[in-house]
Amino acid sequence: MMIWLTGLLRRRTGRILGTAAGIAAAVALLATVGSFLSTARASMTARAVAPVQVDWQVHLNAGADPRAVLATTRAEPGVAVALPVGYAKVPALSTQDGTTVSTTGAAVVVGLPPDYRTVFPGQIRDLGGTGNGVLLAQQTAANLRARPGSVVTVTRPGLPAAQVTVDGIVDLPHADTMLALDPAATAPPDNVLLLPATTFTTLFDPLRADRPDLLADQIHVRTDRRLPADPGTAYTVSTGAAHHLDATLAGAGQSTDNLAAALDAARSDAAYATALFLFLASPGAALAGLLTATVVAAAADRRRKEQALLRARGATARQLLSIAAVEATVSGIIGAALGAAAAAALGSLVFGDSGTAAWSAAAAAAGLVIAAGTVLLPAGRSLRTQTVAAGRTGAARPRLPLVLRLGVDGIALVGAFLVLRATTATGYQLVVAPEGAPRIAVDHWAFTGPALLWIGAALLTWRLVEAGLRFGRRPLTTLLRPVAGPLAGTVAATLQRRRRPIATAATLIACAIAFAVSTAAFTATYQQQAEVDARLTNGADVTVTATPGDLTGGLADAIHATPGVRHVETIQHRFAYVGADLQDLYAVRPATITGGAHLADAWFTGGTAETLMHRLEQQPDGILVSAETVTDFQLQPGDQLILRITDPRTGNPTPVTFHFLGVVNEFPTAPTDSFLVANQHYIAGKVGDGPSTHLIDAGGHDPATVAAALRAAIGPGPAITDITASRTVIGSSLTAVDLDGLTRIELGFALLLAVASAGLVLALGLTERRRTFTITTALGARVRHLAGFVAGEALVITVPALVIGAGTGVGLAQVLIVILKGTFDPPPDRMALPWTYLIVLGAAMVAAVAVTVTGVLAQTRKPRLALLRDV
Amino acid sequence: MERGATVFVGTHLSRTFGQVAAVRDVSCRITATDRIAVTGASGSGKSTLLQLIAGIDDPSGGRAAWPALDGHPRRRPGRIGIVFQSPALLPTLDVHENVALSVLLAGQSAGQARRAASEALRLLHLDDLADRLPHELSGGQAQRVAVARAVATNPDLVVADEPTAALDSATAAHLLDVLLSTVDRLGAALVLATHDSTVAGRMDIRWPMADGTIPTAKASS
Repeated sequence: MMIWLTGLLRRRTGRILGTAAGIAAAVALLATVGSFLSTARASMTARAVAPVQVDWQVHLNAGADPRAVLATTRAEPGVAVALPVGYAKVPALSTQDGTTVSTTGAAVVVGLPPDYRTVFPGQIRDLGGTGNGVLLAQQTAANLRARPGSVVTVTRPGLPAAQVTVDGIVDLPHADTMLALDPAATAPPDNVLLLPATTFTTLFDPLRADRPDLLADQIHVRTDRRLPADPGTAYTVSTGAAHHLDATLAGAGQSTDNLAAALDAARSDAAYATALFLFLASPGAALAGLLTATVVAAAADRRRKEQALLRARGATARQLLSIAAVEATVSGIIGAALGAAAAAALGSLVFGDSGTAAWSAAAAAAGLVIAAGTVLLPAGRSLRTQTVAAGRTGAARPRLPLVLRLGVDGIALVGAFLVLRATTATGYQLVVAPEGAPRIAVDHWAFTGPALLWIGAALLTWRLVEAGLRFGRRPLTTLLRPVAGPLAGTVAATLQRRRRPIATAATLIACAIAFAVSTAAFTATYQQQAEVDARLTNGADVTVTATPGDLTGGLADAIHATPGVRHVETIQHRFAYVGADLQDLYAVRPATITGGAHLADAWFTGGTAETLMHRLEQQPDGILVSAETVTDFQLQPGDQLILRITDPRTGNPTPVTFHFLGVVNEFPTAPTDSFLVANQHYIAGKVGDGPSTHLIDAGGHDPATVAAALRAAIGPGPAITDITASRTVIGSSLTAVDLDGLTRIELGFALLLAVASAGLVLALGLTERRRTFTITTALGARVRHLAGFVAGEALVITVPALVIGAGTGVGLAQVLIVILKGTFDPPPDRMALPWTYLIVLGAAMVAAVAVTVTGVLAQTRKPRLALLRDV
Repeated sequence: MERGATVFVGTHLSRTFGQVAAVRDVSCRITATDRIAVTGASGSGKSTLLQLIAGIDDPSGGRAAWPALDGHPRRRPGRIGIVFQSPALLPTLDVHENVALSVLLAGQSAGQARRAASEALRLLHLDDLADRLPHELSGGQAQRVAVARAVATNPDLVVADEPTAALDSATAAHLLDVLLSTVDRLGAALVLATHDSTVAGRMDIRWPMADGTIPTAKASS
């Protein structure tokens, strides 16, 4: 055994290294993408919880002792800090400016302990004045026309009104959670006043006896956040801890778990990340395995003859299997080690993380399985089915493989079609994550479709190439004449009889191309939609949303004057009732809107963006509505639509008549459900101006830089967002997780596999036929004759592989886009094809083939005459 | 080719592989219709000398010339027919295609190659095997096909490297009959390496080789 192993390592180094290289590719891909998955999940968890300020809000039930609940909460495992917060509901807040009295509707007054802003620094953002003392929320300040120094009167039911002096104006970025007075609250109150705890106690303790219904107590908790990396597990841990606190409080309080709510969304993203891993990495790993098998199979003739010689000299089947096992083990260990090292290097380079030991070990184990499957299994099969004599003579006339004779390709393709049809029926979702439910569901059936499509497409490629060579000798001869000249018939005959290895090689290369094309097209589409999403969310390169009170044109002038601003487009956001349904209404200037905001044709139905904006311009009372509204209200083009829009001058809803013009599905800054788009000028004429959002075209300048310049120019009042930030703020979604890294690795591997399969498979096949070329040279063949053989084979393998592979890749990408539509928001109207990558891929493959052909020809120039003596 | 024309002249030929001298200072001449047996033990340099004569290898020293061929055999493919120790048929071509290949490589058209191959197979009584693949032939049949391939181009010289080594005596005798009758019909010279004295006995001339050289005399017809 040792003699054989030594001989193998010394004389068959290429064979061992070729096998190891294929295994290394599979191991590296699996380990790298696996590590990405781990990193991505941890990143999702971190991103999801980062914006959360108050992890848990404990709502005290009536009659509960606030001190006891606070003590119990602070003693709970995992609680880092717990602070008491008081709430009071008041009928109104008011201010008086000279003779003008401004009064709000119902308001909430909040009492905060002194260290609240230190413990929860992101809860309150200063917009003006000092950050301490009496603070007024931005919108409330606008409603009351209050500023620091203003005196606000707080109405107290049953008690005289109290007066406080405003120290600062603040923004409450997490108002929805901070101001939720009970766990079931859905929307934050409109008017908010924040008081120091002592002032709050002075003002509202007298109400406790008579009107306890107006007061509420909460405990805001910051946990130690020792959470598992996986968002799903972190969700379960956080939920469990919050439930434990509820149980410990024994009815005295009930917690709202803001941490779990944030993780709830991230865990479905984690499920999609896993799905992406399965869809994108597993075909690559399988392909690397197939490449390894092809490398091994290229030496099958020689291996079979070696085996036959050993059998003829008395070697037992057990000994022969042991020899194959040694070869498989050596190749597997070398390949696994190389692959793990490559994955660690790639991980460090791309993700800044060398990966996890668990993933490296799992990938290495997969590498050993590939080694066993590609070396040991064929050896065993050969032992069972081949006689010594047959082993020494060589290949018989090629038969169609059993899988093709059974029509597995057709069955797989029909199966794929049926599964895809079934799984993509209306309402289909790959990942179902019911809000609050402890577990998420991934529809694993969806994986069957692409898997069957891969199998069917690969086998169909094999069948087509096989059939083309079997039955197409005459046309093949004609096609080969330019490269093979008078030898075209002979080359065609050779190719026809070698159709099995040629079809195998073409199939492998087609699969490699399909993998590269599908990965590239999917990721390009994904990135395209992420960009569209960011653009839809932000509306433009930079968006400035004015404070509700700012209805003047001064802000627009200041924006115009800021460096880096090329064009400013102002749209106004209003609310309007369509029947009883309150919808967002966007008042636009149709003639100029496209100067600041990008409008895609796919966002409109019944015309392009340009034609519909033109129609809106021509018809001042025209209106574009969502498809949902068209259905709900049975609208026909030209129908009259009367909306009730609040007039800011009077505060009263005013009926305004419009005419239905067309359908809009998406619009910058608009929500995903129902909304309306109409003429700004027309609406302003009926109900006055509304709050403005300025969409800014940065004209090629860095949006983040322009946003920073705007902040410096117009102060902290208006909210300024840029598209760069939007890209990362699209929640903890996959786009925010460094998908670029995965894309780079996937595309790199795809390119490597495609080039390796084209070059290596071709080179191995041709190298294994060195004796044939030596004989042909000895018979008088010149380089041009051999070039006919070599180039003919290269063309017959690569041309169909390129055509079929590219087609299959596009088809697979389309299927992935359909199945993974949950990762797209909005869904793409067409697939994006990354032409640069595809051109590089094609060029790299052509180069690999050219280098291989040239290399093989260079080898044949100096024939190894010793080969002439081989039997 | 004229009777007595010089087909090959080797002058102080040598061929070394690293430190090993396979052929040392061999001078020889081959004329048309010569029947030469190159004899000697295994490793004596027979195959290397034949490769030099066939022009498929170049000498490390000395000079090889083929006066009757008007140039090097690599530029005049088909003028020297070669029969290797093993049949060395291309496994992916059938018998007819294997034979036709040598004619095509000699620069003939596809039609001429087809006709020449059919003729050669007919001469060697191999017509019935034309469609078979090499692995479907017996050892003797395959070697006869190799002979057919060697003579299909009507060569001036046939070089055969132990063509009967792997055959039983009856098959070997039959193959030799076929080979001799074919070269007789073509009027070609024959140089045959063998360590079988029976085979050598049927040749007109013997070149006994030992340690890469022909010690008895300068080989010449």
